[in-house]
Amino acid sequence: MNYLLRKLGFYAVAFWAALTLNFVIPRLLPGDPVDILLAKLSQRGAVVTPETRKAYATLLGGDTDASLPSQYVTYLANIFKGDLGTSISYFPAPVTEVIGASMPWTMALIGIATVIAALLGVLLGALVGWKPGTWLDSMVPATTLLAAVPYFWLSLVLVYVLSRVLNLFPAQGGYDVVLDPGWNTEFIGSALYYGFLPALTIVLASIGGWLLGMRNMMVSTLSEDYVLTARAKGLPARWVLRDYAARNAVLPSVAGFAISLAFVVSGSVVTEQVFSYPGIGSRLLAAVTNNDYALMQGVFLFITLAVLGANLVVDLLYGLIDPRTRAR
Amino acid sequence: MERSGTRTAASCGQPTEDSAMNPRTSAPHRTPRARRVRRLTRLLLAGAAAVTLLATGCSGGAEGSGGGGGDSASTLIAYTGQAGDYQVNFNPYSPSDIGGAGLIFEPLFFINKTAADAEPKPLLGTEQSWNADGTQLSVTLRAGATWSDGEPFTADDVVFTFQMLLDNESLNSTGFDGAVAKVDDTHVTFTWPEPAYTSGPDVLSSIVIVPEHLWKDIDPEADVLEEPVGTGAYVLSDFKGQAFTLDANPKHWGGAPKVSTVRFLALSGNQAGADAIAAGTIDWQTGPIPDMANTHENFPDYDTGSVAQNQMVLGTCASAALGCQGPQTDPAVRQALFHAIDRTQLNKLAFQDTAAEISPSMALTSTQADTISAQVEPKVAPMTAQPQEAARLLEAAGWVKGADGIYAKDGEKLSLTIEVVTGWTDYITAIQTIAAQAKAAGIQVEAAQSSWNEWTDKRFKGDFELAIDSLWQGPAPDPFYLYSYFYDGRMTAPVGTKANGNNWSRFSDPAVDAALDALQKLSPEDTAGRQAQFDVIQSAVATQMPYIPVMTGSNTSVWNTAKFSGWPVDGEQYAFPAVWSDFDAAEILKTVTPKAAG
Repeated sequence: MNYLLRKLGFYAVAFWAALTLNFVIPRLLPGDPVDILLAKLSQRGAVVTPETRKAYATLLGGDTDASLPSQYVTYLANIFKGDLGTSISYFPAPVTEVIGASMPWTMALIGIATVIAALLGVLLGALVGWKPGTWLDSMVPATTLLAAVPYFWLSLVLVYVLSRVLNLFPAQGGYDVVLDPGWNTEFIGSALYYGFLPALTIVLASIGGWLLGMRNMMVSTLSEDYVLTARAKGLPARWVLRDYAARNAVLPSVAGFAISLAFVVSGSVVTEQVFSYPGIGSRLLAAVTNNDYALMQGVFLFITLAVLGANLVVDLLYGLIDPRTRAR
Repeated sequence: MERSGTRTAASCGQPTEDSAMNPRTSAPHRTPRARRVRRLTRLLLAGAAAVTLLATGCSGGAEGSGGGGGDSASTLIAYTGQAGDYQVNFNPYSPSDIGGAGLIFEPLFFINKTAADAEPKPLLGTEQSWNADGTQLSVTLRAGATWSDGEPFTADDVVFTFQMLLDNESLNSTGFDGAVAKVDDTHVTFTWPEPAYTSGPDVLSSIVIVPEHLWKDIDPEADVLEEPVGTGAYVLSDFKGQAFTLDANPKHWGGAPKVSTVRFLALSGNQAGADAIAAGTIDWQTGPIPDMANTHENFPDYDTGSVAQNQMVLGTCASAALGCQGPQTDPAVRQALFHAIDRTQLNKLAFQDTAAEISPSMALTSTQADTISAQVEPKVAPMTAQPQEAARLLEAAGWVKGADGIYAKDGEKLSLTIEVVTGWTDYITAIQTIAAQAKAAGIQVEAAQSSWNEWTDKRFKGDFELAIDSLWQGPAPDPFYLYSYFYDGRMTAPVGTKANGNNWSRFSDPAVDAALDALQKLSPEDTAGRQAQFDVIQSAVATQMPYIPVMTGSNTSVWNTAKFSGWPVDGEQYAFPAVWSDFDAAEILKTVTPKAAG
């Protein structure tokens, strides 16, 4: 119990620190939102007069004149009320609505891709580690090479080959815009079809890490005495692989998986840029370039919560799995 | 990526023979694993070559022009340059409006900024005239127009709209400051206490009319109008984050347009737009694509149209009196830099030969040439470098050439820094070219790249020497607007405080301010009277040169000429060819016709 309280206390402090940084960092950015908005409008052909500036400053300005400490107090109070403010770049939409519209896409795409990459990587890693020194070993350099190649480049190659040359998959978008989003087979089919290529690039780029980690753990687990014992007992190789070696070797990967799930929320800015995918990453990018404090804070808050939450779960689980981590 | 002029230069040819990329030159390892890696590498290299081809736009034939699934031949798919998904907002008075103004809501008239004489084209208004002293503008309204919900359009709607602007400062982005009154059901008048000729074009063509019967019950600042009701040629049919679709309005006063459906897509930026053109999934976008001059050869279904209307300038922090520091506060330095630029070379290297000539008077040479003052010399900026003229100007101002070939005065070297936004590749190339050209004239020029936010902040606070940017035109083809936006000394502030207008150069000249005031009171018919004021402004603008003229930048649209005809091209430039320019896009979509059904 004491252990649990200590952990929760630590996370409460970490959460407060994250909230404060979340408040401070966007405000260190140069420029102000009205200037950026007007610069954008004028670059896109709108006629921007001094009156335009005055009008939009009145419209968006709100309480920018309030002192920083009082802004901070309002900010904290609003967060606990669940009010993340109004987005400036998508004015007058509330931040929760903007995030709510894009979060499912990111979580589905990056989440599914992460799960597939981890499962495949761990399975392949177990196989490769089981038979070191055979042709299977070549999977290690092959997959790590894919991980080492700059991600945007890998995705552009795939887009070119699979989408432009072979015409197998659409290169842009998250779904066929003619269809209505909803829980019907046609739309889900279209979302899967459009999501396949971005998911493939993520899987290809991240599978190497899982495979390498699992394979190395397998190799060291295989030299343990209990594996030798199991073999000496004459157990079928399949059992030894599954119940003795892989089971123990997978522990670090499980922890790593929980952490990587946390980053699902932050999405992948690059993936979403390359594929014009409707996710949170492109919203974050837009928020930063538009000095949209409220939206930035909202997105960062979600990321912070996800990372802290995943860490907490892993911490608590590890306390259960391995009593040594609890002991003082 | 938002800025319409941004483009990446690209050239056709073989993929680079870089040794690191060439499998033949890789070290001769002989282990099986290395060989396998090499095989894989070679596979990837083949892909790399393919991508190089893709990036340079040299891929041979383009696929057919089939749009998204299930679209008929009269569906036009456009991309506005919107980066990222749409958030629903069809409120034409909101800064985040995604498509309400123009297509759904209409102003009284349309003014074609690409024509020299801007006779307003009737939309909801049919006739307009000023009284003799320029204090009252009378407008006759179209009889028989209806809102898309069936209610009739009347003078009350016009009065309501303008009164709403007067009551809500935050909506009044054009600064309407007159009074509006209804005469009868089809006549309204706008009245000002003083002559206000220059306010006319905004009233007529920038303010869209909204329905009183619906808008009197909503909050015009915060309502996003998920179901907009307007008088325009299109009505909203469907909205999704990735696209919204407009259908032709059968109740439109001019009849339903021939393009029955228009769909606006959200993509991630200019690059994605260029890719979509290559894949044939969009029919119209305004933005750069690689190898623009050969668009029709690369993509036989497409062609381009462009109009040069934005003067690209090296804006300077010009006024030492307001706290600017650096050699550029000396007008001779600004003049010398103007003469040092080789514009032919610059156009080729940085702008794919799409930029046009520029006049030091800052009047557009295409549509405003008549207003260029006889006192301005040269009338058009020289297309080649004039180093002797630059040297003469500098030496007359007391600058002396040092041993390193760079001028100096009182121990201060003639070294200038130009601020530019990271990623604006054409501008960065332009600065590098100008730097090489200026060096030959004894001026040292460097580029400083920063984020858009930081760059904007520096400009408005006066914390810069030079910044590359472009100026813009007003609601009518009249140079008055550009002067009043950028050269009005009352619209600037000392260095350190933010300029309250657009005059970020901090240029200030009481004679120019007086001439701007005088122009507001002069009828557009009084050409001689206006010219006298333009003479005052232009001679100050051309000699002081707070914004050093570089070239006039183009906006280029790429459109599908296989599926649609009637695009605004040379000879028939009925609108400015930009999909993001709401009122022009509305004119274009009303004019374009699908070529064939099927």
